[in-house]
Amino acid sequence: MTEKEKYRQVCREAAATGIALLVLIVFWLFAGFGLAGSAATIFRLPLWAAASTVGVWIFAIVLVWVLTKFVFRDMDLEEERHD
Amino acid sequence: MIETGRPEALLPLALFMALMLGVSFFVRWQARTGEGGFLRQYFVGNRDLGGFVLAMTTVATYSSVSSFVGGPGMAWSVGFGWIYMAVVQVTAVFLVLGIFGKRVALLARKFGAVTVVDILRRRFRSDALAATAAFIIVLFFCATMTAQFVGGAKLFAAVTGYSYELGLLLFGLAVVVYTTIGGFRAVAITDALCAIMMMIGIVLLFFYVLEAGGGYGAIMDHIAANEPKMLEPFSGGNMPAGLYLTQWILVGICTIALPQSVVRGISYRDTKGLHRAMIIGTVVVGFMNIGVNFTGILAHGVLTGPVASYGGVDNIIPSTIAAVMPPSLIGLAIVGPIAASISTISSLLLVGSSAIVKDVYLHYRGKQGKTTSDAALRRLSMAVTAILGAAVFLIALTPPSLIWLINMFAFGGLETAFFWTLLLGLFWRRANRLGAFLSMGGGTVVYCLTQGLGFKIMGLHQITIGISLSLVLFLIGSFLGEPEPKEVLREFFPE
Repeated sequence: MTEKEKYRQVCREAAATGIALLVLIVFWLFAGFGLAGSAATIFRLPLWAAASTVGVWIFAIVLVWVLTKFVFRDMDLEEERHD
Repeated sequence: MIETGRPEALLPLALFMALMLGVSFFVRWQARTGEGGFLRQYFVGNRDLGGFVLAMTTVATYSSVSSFVGGPGMAWSVGFGWIYMAVVQVTAVFLVLGIFGKRVALLARKFGAVTVVDILRRRFRSDALAATAAFIIVLFFCATMTAQFVGGAKLFAAVTGYSYELGLLLFGLAVVVYTTIGGFRAVAITDALCAIMMMIGIVLLFFYVLEAGGGYGAIMDHIAANEPKMLEPFSGGNMPAGLYLTQWILVGICTIALPQSVVRGISYRDTKGLHRAMIIGTVVVGFMNIGVNFTGILAHGVLTGPVASYGGVDNIIPSTIAAVMPPSLIGLAIVGPIAASISTISSLLLVGSSAIVKDVYLHYRGKQGKTTSDAALRRLSMAVTAILGAAVFLIALTPPSLIWLINMFAFGGLETAFFWTLLLGLFWRRANRLGAFLSMGGGTVVYCLTQGLGFKIMGLHQITIGISLSLVLFLIGSFLGEPEPKEVLREFFPE
């Protein structure tokens, strides 16, 4: 990658990370406040208490995996000598 | 509390601190060839961290002793709403590494930078801005380090029965010595060991709390019957919506700008490691936050009285440790929280020292046309690290009151100063010197004033004022002032 291509890629990754944050916030709102009215329980916890803690954690891990797998690219961090 | 002075309670901590010192001497011996120059070696570990250590040092630096003591104490009193709020910290690793990780890695290599301030100085061509940034870093870091020392030593005294001073001496001196001697690589490796000890500590306490409380089912039945509010997100008013909002800002989103986190973007070897660190770090930070706060809630099976009978929320975890751990394991149980404390101190100490040595002293020497030999740099850097550490250590010996508030105060101050300056400075061409200066200076001053006067808007933490005002000031400055010259922009935004 040239310096310019690296810069473009870095911006793309930063923007995707920002979008991942928004997705996580929406999931977090839904899993906690959204499910707070449900009477269902899981492992003796109210559904919201499980979904908004362990659920959010697992969701975040999957989200980061998707980021690093599909958006982030490997690049040489040293400067290209030939361009 | 257990009776005073159990020697076996000291042994695990003493062994752990000896291990930390051993790592530091080993790293120092390994680095004797001095490849890459002393500054790069000492302040960013020669940019050679792998993914696992990068993840662990980022988590360990971020997680402080209050994550282990004050936090789960609050979870005990508030309930699941507290974990719901604390889980926003799963963003603390992937956001900073995903947004700034490669950006600063590339820029640092291009300019030979070893600090975040180096990069800001270059971007905004301003020594005054760099000096202000260095000053803010040293000021707030000293406050945070003091809080970490005090928190660790108080826990030590409460659980082991030995004195506060002995605890401070035992782990406080060790952390200053190993950071001074080993530099960044020692900090990173000891941080990784600390993070592992924190996780072991959480699992251990979780297990014994369950056992002492008569099992998971019994404890949950007890909570449902006696404390039904703990099963609601707002906890019957104990957990207001505004707190959720400000915690998202304070310990979630804005943590990307903490200089002690961003500098980790300069320290890793390759992008594969960075990607791995984002995943590992998210797994670990979530495990710790949920694990430790869940343990705090389950402690209801053991501590059944009102919070006042234990002397406040900060005493919940020490009381729990003393109540549930077998005497032979008490010593091991305190290593986790102390590890959380020292792994934060070590990183702050080093970044604080780099701000003084690299960002201020060496820069002015360079301007006067003087060069400094590697041997002199070594002496100077170590001396500054040691003196800074010793100063904070002395403050912690006679701690100022309300020390727990200082931690969050400093967090907010650093975020106000650096969030927009870094985010807009590194990703927005129009960002200029005037904007950065107004944002960093004005935002931080107003944040500190509103904190000092106790002024709040809609009852929200002052970070909301600081971060909004610093954005407005940044935009005003950027549109009123001249854009940065083309040659600077070309370096930062290749065309």
